[in-house]
Amino acid sequence: MFYARRATPLHAARAPVAAAYACALVTAVLTFENPIALAAVGTAIVAAALLAGAGRQLARAALLGVPFALLIAVVNPLATDEGLTVWLRLGELGPFGQVDITREGLTFGAILGLRALLVVLASSALLGATVDPDELLRGFRRISVRSALTAALAVRLVPVLGRDARRLADARRCRPDATDKPRAAERLQIVRAVATGALDRALDVAATLEVRGYASPAAAGGPRRLREPWSRHDLAFAASAAALVALCIGARMLAIADFDAYPLTVVAAGAREWLLALAIVVVAVLPFADRRGVLR
Amino acid sequence: MSRRPSRARAVAPFALLCAAALAVGGCGLGAGSTPNEPVALSVTRDFGAASLVQTPGARVSGADTVMRVLRRNAKVTTRFGGEFVQSIDGLSGGRSDGRPTDWFVYLNGILTDKGAGAIDVHGGDRIWWDHHDWGVTPDIRAVVGAYPEPFVHGFDGKRLPVRVECVDPVANVCTVVADKLIALGVPIGRSNISRSAADESLRILVGPWKMLRGRDAESDAIDSGPKASGVFARFDGAGDALTVLDARGQAARILTAGTGLIAATRSKDRQPVWFVTGTDDAGVGAAARALDEGALKDRFALAISNDLPVALPARSG
Repeated sequence: MFYARRATPLHAARAPVAAAYACALVTAVLTFENPIALAAVGTAIVAAALLAGAGRQLARAALLGVPFALLIAVVNPLATDEGLTVWLRLGELGPFGQVDITREGLTFGAILGLRALLVVLASSALLGATVDPDELLRGFRRISVRSALTAALAVRLVPVLGRDARRLADARRCRPDATDKPRAAERLQIVRAVATGALDRALDVAATLEVRGYASPAAAGGPRRLREPWSRHDLAFAASAAALVALCIGARMLAIADFDAYPLTVVAAGAREWLLALAIVVVAVLPFADRRGVLR
Repeated sequence: MSRRPSRARAVAPFALLCAAALAVGGCGLGAGSTPNEPVALSVTRDFGAASLVQTPGARVSGADTVMRVLRRNAKVTTRFGGEFVQSIDGLSGGRSDGRPTDWFVYLNGILTDKGAGAIDVHGGDRIWWDHHDWGVTPDIRAVVGAYPEPFVHGFDGKRLPVRVECVDPVANVCTVVADKLIALGVPIGRSNISRSAADESLRILVGPWKMLRGRDAESDAIDSGPKASGVFARFDGAGDALTVLDARGQAARILTAGTGLIAATRSKDRQPVWFVTGTDDAGVGAAARALDEGALKDRFALAISNDLPVALPARSG
């Protein structure tokens, strides 16, 4: 679990609003294929993560996301044969048949890879690091107790298993013949021990949640708490999320930031696209400008 | 004192060998060389009844595939990663009037066995995409509508030996057919009807149907009907009348004495066999005279009745 409370406007916003903000950025990634718009959304995600103090999580997510994005970028030109500008003829390649690497295939592969990377970054660095999962699940419990319980269980199980793995690694280091860094086979042993114990640990976590009252009838009805008024940060990030979604819908309806990958790549790159890009960045970053009430 | 060969020197022959293998396998940088003869592209519907695109000199760039030539010259949507055509200029495969329809591609009059993205285009090729009902058969393996192909440029860049086989090799009708091919610069052999099953030549069989039938697998296929041969016409038992069929395989008209037929069919793993035939000598003569690019263009097969062409499959009613 990456979440840690920090003194930033995004952390000050209530969890559902922060989650909606992150989801709006993911929606923007999935809406656009135009590289100008995607670059703007990417800039917005990176800026938001840095302003929310999630730079380290961003870097960690990039470590996971970049190879994944590269894989997509490499496979796409091999798997599709829709481009017209041939750069490399590879002949017959087994299951791929006759493969010609085209500029269009490479370009679209890069676009798909970038989108995958941005989704990973937005999910990990924003959704994972800035949204309090407990608060989010509390809100979700009113809709579906069972689903909320399952999600809570899954969310809590991850750090429990992480701690188990660390303890097992520590135990391994206590052995007289142990090296400082575990070898691959030893790492595998640790992973296997953690994985095989996961079901038992899940039962432990479920029992703990039950003891804390997750399964009680009161939980199904939701906590009877006084409704907190919306803070300025709640309003700012909610407005930002709504504006981002509106920008996506508006751009689609007005055919702004069009992109045709095949048969020839056509990228709309006029004034409207640059204006849209600017709007996306400004709308996403603007709520961070107000830091009043953050350092509570 | 002997010196150990450097690592680069040791690797060089292997690298050269790899490069040569890649070059022989059709690999290379860039788009490859553009064919030095024009490539023709036809896009039609309903067995060539209506023309959608006619481009005698289609845009080709480098070593294009059949699919890429189509994409350069028409608006196309595809399936399965670009391997199969879904629609051309908005006309898509699927069902029409409860009948299955789809796009089929013929390269030099031969139905391609591979996906259009896997077939290279060569100079002089004629690419024909047709959208038609395949309820009777999806397997019309050869058509006459690309004439003078495949006789001039062959298939897949390879010219094929051509043999004109006649019931009577010295008959005038045999000479007419042979002269037409010779005039196109096609070297031909001329002989009696043969039965060679291992023959790799393109054969044109000339003569009345009653003399051609039962000679080989291809004539048997035509007698078996369109499902087996892809030819929407059937001679009667005596070979004196030709029933032309519509796209649903139903009889549309019965043509009698003096009727000719130009059709092509192909058995699996063999070269196409063309028939210049008819109900009688007059019909064969009419067919031989109709062996012409203008008359055959975009036809799957052609019947000739009273010197008038009847495109096959025939229009119903």
